[in-house]
Amino acid sequence: MTSTSTPSRAADGGALRPEVVHPVRTGRAPRPAGRRRVPVAPYLFVAPAVVLFVVFMLVPLLYTIWSSLRAYRIELGTSVLGVRVDRFVGFENYAAVFQDAELLASFGRLAVYGLIAVPLTLGLALLFALLLDVPAVRAKRFSRTAIFIPYAVPGVTAALLWGFMYLPLTSPFSYVTEALGWGPVPFLEGNGLFGSLANIAIWGGVGFNMIIIYTSLRGIPTDIYESARLDGASELQIALRIKVPLVVPALVLTGVFALIGTLQLYGEPNTLRPLTTDITQSWAPLMTIYRDAFLTDDLPSAAASSTVLALGTVLLSALVLGIANRKRSEAAS
Amino acid sequence: MDRTAKRAVALATVLIGGAALTGCAPTGSDGDVVTLDFWGWGTGQKEQVAAFEAEHPDIRVRHTDAGGGDDSAAKLLTSSRAGNAPDVALVEYTTLPALVVAQVPRDVTELVTDIDDDFTEGTWAQTTFGGVVYGVPQDAAPMVMTYRTDVLAAAGQEVPTTWEEFADAARAVHEQDPDAVLASAPGGELALYAGVSAQAGAEWWSVEDGVWTIGIADERSLEVADFFEQLADEGVVDTGPLLSPEYNARVNDGSIAGWIAGIWAPSVLAGVAPDTSGNWAMAPVPQWTPGDTGVPFQGGSAMIVTENSDHPEEAAEFVRWMNASEGGSQSLIDDRLTYPASIVGQELAETGAPPSLMPDQADFWQVAADVSTDVVPVTWGPNVSLAKTVFTDELNAAISRGTPWRDAFVATQEAVVADMEKVGYQVRTSDR
Repeated sequence: MTSTSTPSRAADGGALRPEVVHPVRTGRAPRPAGRRRVPVAPYLFVAPAVVLFVVFMLVPLLYTIWSSLRAYRIELGTSVLGVRVDRFVGFENYAAVFQDAELLASFGRLAVYGLIAVPLTLGLALLFALLLDVPAVRAKRFSRTAIFIPYAVPGVTAALLWGFMYLPLTSPFSYVTEALGWGPVPFLEGNGLFGSLANIAIWGGVGFNMIIIYTSLRGIPTDIYESARLDGASELQIALRIKVPLVVPALVLTGVFALIGTLQLYGEPNTLRPLTTDITQSWAPLMTIYRDAFLTDDLPSAAASSTVLALGTVLLSALVLGIANRKRSEAAS
Repeated sequence: MDRTAKRAVALATVLIGGAALTGCAPTGSDGDVVTLDFWGWGTGQKEQVAAFEAEHPDIRVRHTDAGGGDDSAAKLLTSSRAGNAPDVALVEYTTLPALVVAQVPRDVTELVTDIDDDFTEGTWAQTTFGGVVYGVPQDAAPMVMTYRTDVLAAAGQEVPTTWEEFADAARAVHEQDPDAVLASAPGGELALYAGVSAQAGAEWWSVEDGVWTIGIADERSLEVADFFEQLADEGVVDTGPLLSPEYNARVNDGSIAGWIAGIWAPSVLAGVAPDTSGNWAMAPVPQWTPGDTGVPFQGGSAMIVTENSDHPEEAAEFVRWMNASEGGSQSLIDDRLTYPASIVGQELAETGAPPSLMPDQADFWQVAADVSTDVVPVTWGPNVSLAKTVFTDELNAAISRGTPWRDAFVATQEAVVADMEKVGYQVRTSDR
């Protein structure tokens, strides 16, 4: 499009012409006379985001904190059952959260689960990404899709699918072990549960993390590899000495995602719960919150635990990112 | 403020307003026709509603399947708090006290006073608290034993009439086939243990003069715990979760040969294992003392009119027709496949065909009517849902750790008492 081919537009005047903006405006410099207009366009552009943030984030957040300071109490009146009223109780709910041994134990279970799931997910994702990045590897597109596909399976579906493979009567693994006379595999009992739950998360999560790391690998200029090869480095040495250090930012990112995902564990244990007696209603912190909010109708307790969990998640993520950044700046200096 | 800024404000207003508006749905009257919102669950409700509308041209009913059980009670509480509960809802007897405390159901004493004679006293008591009626019973669920006639016969056993005989029959079934059990006693079934304990004379919740007495760890309840623990230790009852894929597979292959539950059990089993139809029968639940006839309820539901409803009279008419009229009762039997709570409904049921699971048991409804004549009254408390979660977790833990089952009953009682004291009730525990 040229100006000669659209004379009418050009004749409209300045509408299409970008305004001349001073690239750098020092604080003291007086504004040019006649240009006293308040710049509204930026506000207009951010307005939808701000409105959505306020309506769907800030207001619910403040409401949650407000509810967490209240509690339902009974006032015995004319009815034998009494009537429930909503009262301000200060930090009583928070005190109860921190004294709840079962809730603390559920964080312990999360830690065990996380210690299995997070390193394995990231390790496998890194391994697959590095393998796909080796020039000699064939059928890359197919392998990449095959590894990624489990991520496209909805979490509940994946949990149900694995649930059937864990149950003694329907499990193909237990079918084999029983045929060999070893009895069914205790997938859903005792400590076997941690591995079984982590397996679902690893199965679903490796593909997604692999794509992030692989994308980061593709962004590395190839001349680095060429000079390494000229210096006589093997593909393994290139992978360990060059590629891995260069994708550390991607690893930190996926690590933080995995950490947050672990703290928010809910779908898998909740879906497997009807299949086994070893997953309690308070197995993971979010399950306790769900129970309080939607089964025992103690919304204020759920609000208090949610606030604690959210704050803990933010602090932990900040801590991990802070450590990673310091390590990196130390390495750089 | 200039033009663009005004536009930004207008845009924001529209966004917020739109978000707020989507939360509201129109309800109420359109001309002379009143529209009621109704939340329920399970089979046959669309047909019930259609039958009601055919007889009431001036009332329309918008039916929503709210899922049932504890989930739908929670939904009802939340929507009521938000001021947009449906006009009418189906609720389980166990959740009704918690809803009453939260002021979800309306006092309908005046509106249904003429139909209380249509129900037996024990049934009517399930929806009455301190003389105030909060709902109309829909289905009654006397506890029965649904069992495989062929499995029991192969083990050379008669139908047990006492729990002692039940234990012997369970041992014989297990001896005949080491994979088989006569019934399940799962950790997740508070209602089973509550019912059997009530039959033994325990009252898990009771209230008098504003003081609650909790008997979950009553000596009689603890003996119930010991009884089932003993059978589970011997391996003659199963403790795995009900209706899991594992459980369903075992019902199909006959290695789970019975179920102690409400009279709704045959229709559930027919859905799980239709191919086993014809091999089943229903008998009254065993007794602790030979010659006793008392039967507890397990499950069952009532319909309430909510405090939020703008049309309580039309809503009450709907509730009355659905549960106490002849047309409504017939629909309960034919479409909903339940055992009606009303006397007229139970009489109608007696002439019907037996459930598809036991087509040859001609006396099915006669047995149902017989057991319903001596119902053990059960009072539920305001925190049954809390008791359920604690009980399930504690009993499952006791089963998998091999610790005494009675500890789970004690822990549940402690949690229930602590919760009730915390919210402000006067509570004591049953000494016996």
